[in-house]
Amino acid sequence: MLIFAISDKGGTGRSVTGTNIAYRHALQGNDVCYLDFDFGSPTAGAIFSVSAVARGTRENGLHHYLRGECPLPRRVDVWTESDREGLRARPPGAGRLVLLPGSEGGGELSALTDEVVGRCVQLLGRLDEEFDLCVVDVSAGRSFTAELVLAATVRMPAIPFRWLVFHRWTRQHIIAADGLVTGADGLLDVGTRFGHDPEDLRDRIRFVRTAVLEPDAAELVGLRDEQRAWLSACDSELRELAGRHGVGRTAMLGKIPLDPVLQWREQLITDEDVLASKIANAETAAAFEDLAKKIVDDSAWEGL
Amino acid sequence: MLVMGEVHTGLLQNSGEISESTCRQVLALMAGETVRVSRRPIVHALSPERLTGVDCALPTASRSRVRGVGTVMSRCAVTGGRVAQGSSYVRVVRSEADRRLPWSHYLARPGVVEVLGKAKAADLAEGFTGDSAPGGTGGACLNLGAVSGRFLDLVQASPLLDRRAPFKIPRTSLRWVAETGEPSIRFTLHTEQERTLRLTHPGPFTPAVVDLCEDLATHDWLLTSLLVIVERARIGGTQGAQAVARLAPAIDHLMHLWMPAARVEEWLTPFWESLERRPGFSRQWRSLVDRVRDQVAMNTLALLNATAEAGRR
Ligand SMILES: Nc1ncnc2c1ncn2[C@@H]1O[C@H](COP(=O)(O)OP(=O)(O)OP(=O)(O)O)[C@@H](O)[C@H]1O
Ligand SMILES: [Mg+2]
Repeated sequence: MLIFAISDKGGTGRSVTGTNIAYRHALQGNDVCYLDFDFGSPTAGAIFSVSAVARGTRENGLHHYLRGECPLPRRVDVWTESDREGLRARPPGAGRLVLLPGSEGGGELSALTDEVVGRCVQLLGRLDEEFDLCVVDVSAGRSFTAELVLAATVRMPAIPFRWLVFHRWTRQHIIAADGLVTGADGLLDVGTRFGHDPEDLRDRIRFVRTAVLEPDAAELVGLRDEQRAWLSACDSELRELAGRHGVGRTAMLGKIPLDPVLQWREQLITDEDVLASKIANAETAAAFEDLAKKIVDDSAWEGL
Repeated sequence: MLVMGEVHTGLLQNSGEISESTCRQVLALMAGETVRVSRRPIVHALSPERLTGVDCALPTASRSRVRGVGTVMSRCAVTGGRVAQGSSYVRVVRSEADRRLPWSHYLARPGVVEVLGKAKAADLAEGFTGDSAPGGTGGACLNLGAVSGRFLDLVQASPLLDRRAPFKIPRTSLRWVAETGEPSIRFTLHTEQERTLRLTHPGPFTPAVVDLCEDLATHDWLLTSLLVIVERARIGGTQGAQAVARLAPAIDHLMHLWMPAARVEEWLTPFWESLERRPGFSRQWRSLVDRVRDQVAMNTLALLNATAEAGRR
């Protein structure tokens, strides 16, 4: 299964959520690989706490590979190469967790050629042979990278893939997320142009809300009644807006609560962060875990 | 001087094993040339051979620059309708000329790469199989692995395959060097997926040596994959029924494929026998297979007991 992670806007929590899903899916016993296709700022290494590739890799990164500068991209085994104590041993029952870092200072893809698509097809096809799940951070907005994977997946009709569109729970984000899928030059538009069936592609896209503050969240306990009432009204207004834009509950795969740790730092939330040091919220870890199950649960992906 | 090759082996990307006739179609890379199939003791299908022209540096341990020009010989194979391979090799010889000749010269010598200038066989052999070998990511050197990998891709991308393989498993690569001399064989495990083989055989090189290397690669992949599946099952660390469910793909798809030296010519079988003594491929395989069978037997007993209990109540 290939999962493409995209968002309309930058800074929505795409990378943090995508990496945490990959991590949780590996903990659930699957072999998982994470591809940092965010060529503008490949920072997945930092989230996995692999300082050697915190900002991407200088040699044999994904960008180098797609440009044909190396025969295969570099692989980083997170369980052995992470600097974080709690990650540096594969927990019993966990699957492999491998990061394919982007290229440091690589810059966005500047054109989409047949060779680049061919290399992408080769890479994804091979990874699909050995990994249960490949999460691809496609970067934000309309990009050559998004076009690249849309073009590549047309050429691999038998390999299952799905898209996750990340957005925050605000007016602008809801409208933008819808636009990225259904708008001009959006995923459906470009995908159809490349040869995808629009209905089929639509069924493979779900939304994920990030950094959501529920009106009844513990964080809001100290608020005045007037403030809570206002938030509640906002929330139902947003729900109504989301419904109208096709970003409502049926098209949503999950939501990740706002977490104090993630507000301060881009990182994986381990069970230790929740249970031992108690810095992260249990709800956040549970939401990642739930999402990591749902991405491969066909019943969550039945036609809209 | 020497022959060097690289075999990539992986699980055929199909839900079940494929029939002999499907093997033929999948491997018919070139119209007009037939796929060779042997049926006993296991169905083995071999594609026609194809050439790739090369003019590039050859890997050397000393890092001295050695230029080679010629063609790489490649082919694909499917064993038991289940295990797929891409395999390439070159016979490295000294060039009679000191400059590059017209392509017709090289095309008349399929699978031969001619070395321009000075080169030592030992330096090339070390360069190809040593730790800094061109392997996965390396630069502009002759990369037989890249060629073999693409041939394996060709098989895996066949529209005749449903791509719903029963389990996910990495490919392995076997990089080999064969020379003429006093018989010896050395098989080395590097990373989880990389192996090298150094072979010295009596008499001149023949394609039977390639068959031997491919046969070894197949069995090394089988053993590696069975080890991975047994590890994933977490025998003892999880419930019996769960462990058995995780072992099922091995029983259904791998365990009947072990046929060491089935396609190896008589004069080369002593090499297999030597590897059977050390590191002992078949010994490890048998012990793993026994372990899998014991788990299944124990689980069946537990189930029978539980059913009998329930009946008595
Ligand atoms: N659930 C959350 N709760 C609180 N903060 C979060 C949450 N998810 C992400 N963040 C924070 O939001 C910021 C942006 O997240 P992230 O880097 O994952 O976004 P992105 O969409 O990948 O951005 P870019 O487009 O720049 O790559 C980070 O500081 C991150 O820690
Ligand atoms: Mg990011």
